[in-house]
Amino acid sequence: MRREHVLPTVEDTRALGAALAAVVRPGDLVVLTGPLGAGKTALTQGLGAALGVPEPVTSPTFVIARVHRGGRLPLVHVDAYRLGGVADVDDLDLDASTEESVTVVEWGAGLVEQLADEHLEVRLDRRDDDVRTAVLVPRGPRWEARLDGDR
Amino acid sequence: MTEPLVIGFETSCDETGVGVVRGHTLLADALATSVAEHERFGGVVPEIASRAHLEAMVPTVHRALAEAGVAPSDVDAVAVTAGPGLTGALLVGLAAAKAYALALDKPLYGVNHLAAHVAVDELQHGRLAEPSLALLVSGGHSSLLLVPDLAREVTPLGRTIDDAAGEAFDKVARVLGMPFPGGPPIDRAAREGDPAAIDFPRGLTGPRDAPYDVSFSGLKTAVARWVEARRRAGEPVPVADVAASFQEAVADVLTAKAVRACRDHGVDHLVLGGGVAANSRLRALAEERCAAAGIVLRVPSPRLCTDNGAMVAALGSRLVAAGVAPSAPDLGADSSLPVETVSR
Repeated sequence: MRREHVLPTVEDTRALGAALAAVVRPGDLVVLTGPLGAGKTALTQGLGAALGVPEPVTSPTFVIARVHRGGRLPLVHVDAYRLGGVADVDDLDLDASTEESVTVVEWGAGLVEQLADEHLEVRLDRRDDDVRTAVLVPRGPRWEARLDGDR
Repeated sequence: MTEPLVIGFETSCDETGVGVVRGHTLLADALATSVAEHERFGGVVPEIASRAHLEAMVPTVHRALAEAGVAPSDVDAVAVTAGPGLTGALLVGLAAAKAYALALDKPLYGVNHLAAHVAVDELQHGRLAEPSLALLVSGGHSSLLLVPDLAREVTPLGRTIDDAAGEAFDKVARVLGMPFPGGPPIDRAAREGDPAAIDFPRGLTGPRDAPYDVSFSGLKTAVARWVEARRRAGEPVPVADVAASFQEAVADVLTAKAVRACRDHGVDHLVLGGGVAANSRLRALAEERCAAAGIVLRVPSPRLCTDNGAMVAALGSRLVAAGVAPSAPDLGADSSLPVETVSR
């Protein structure tokens, strides 16, 4: 999978999420970074739809975390903006196990990395011309290999 | 025959609410909030919410009963929010409601939080016209509902496809350096501003867009971009104008869609509910547009728009009156209870 992406429309951001759905596995942690409006929720919407989540994936901000079932894997969608730190996902009172799910955390950089031995960081950004960009940063050798298609 | 006395428990989010009603008469509305605890995080943290509910529950029940001037043994039925909401928070209310129902040997009704937001208006304005349309807007929900029978049938027409309306207020407040929750400070700042100063986008209002769904993510981003551009240019940010123009965009879209839904479905009653229904511009614009369209608008007082126990008791009272079967004693919490399920 390419590491750098230019995403002119929100559909392109969703398509990148859908492409990620093809490579994620149970227990995966994906950490999304980027400013307000960079496409973090849109990317997760594409990922959720491609996993087969039946309901629309909406922002988890108000409730901090939402669990979406009914797809190929359960999707745990977290907004960590308000959290001081997450020692354990148990702190979030989720009725889901992260070992069986793919966990996507918005605003989670520096807070949630310990939830898995390895994770994928997706750096989203919003350029002055309103085009979004994404850089996939594998954090660990297994993610590195997976993005290189060497499964 | 006197109407049944119903006690209602609400713990779906950060308010611990216990209300007591008789028929459509509000007798008590006791509330404890963990907003202060959450303010530190700028949002609701599920575990903190559950713990706060647990600590507040028994004193809040005692306050509600004292305020209503009734004894526990006077209660005829117990109602409780079974969802949607935070699982851990809902469980506290359910445990309390079940304990009272069991101890008092009275029927238990597990109700839908969203339908309860509609039912609460009956405490102020009497029985709801049916069918009615309901616009529920809060930090966690934005829904347009068709209500043919509040006790049995609620049909969702539209919802947010990304951010809830209240969440957009919170995020814009964050951009403008205002405290959480963002609704009240934006409403206050907007009074000094020009709602036409900045033409912020109205999401999902194109001819091919879903007619009743709403989207506030693009609006939030547009506000952030506008403010960032000002700051980059070293110019001052006209906070009042930004707040007023943003608030206008939200109120415009919500009221236009609600009035259109009324027209399309031949319904001439609209009820507002949820915390965002406390917004002064949303209320004013809804009044203006409903009057022009010949729609009767019902809006509960701001105090009853936000989460409380009286709304749950109000829906419970409606269920008892309609002869709906009570819930099973093993009633569980459903964090994503569909709005079609009025009671379970």
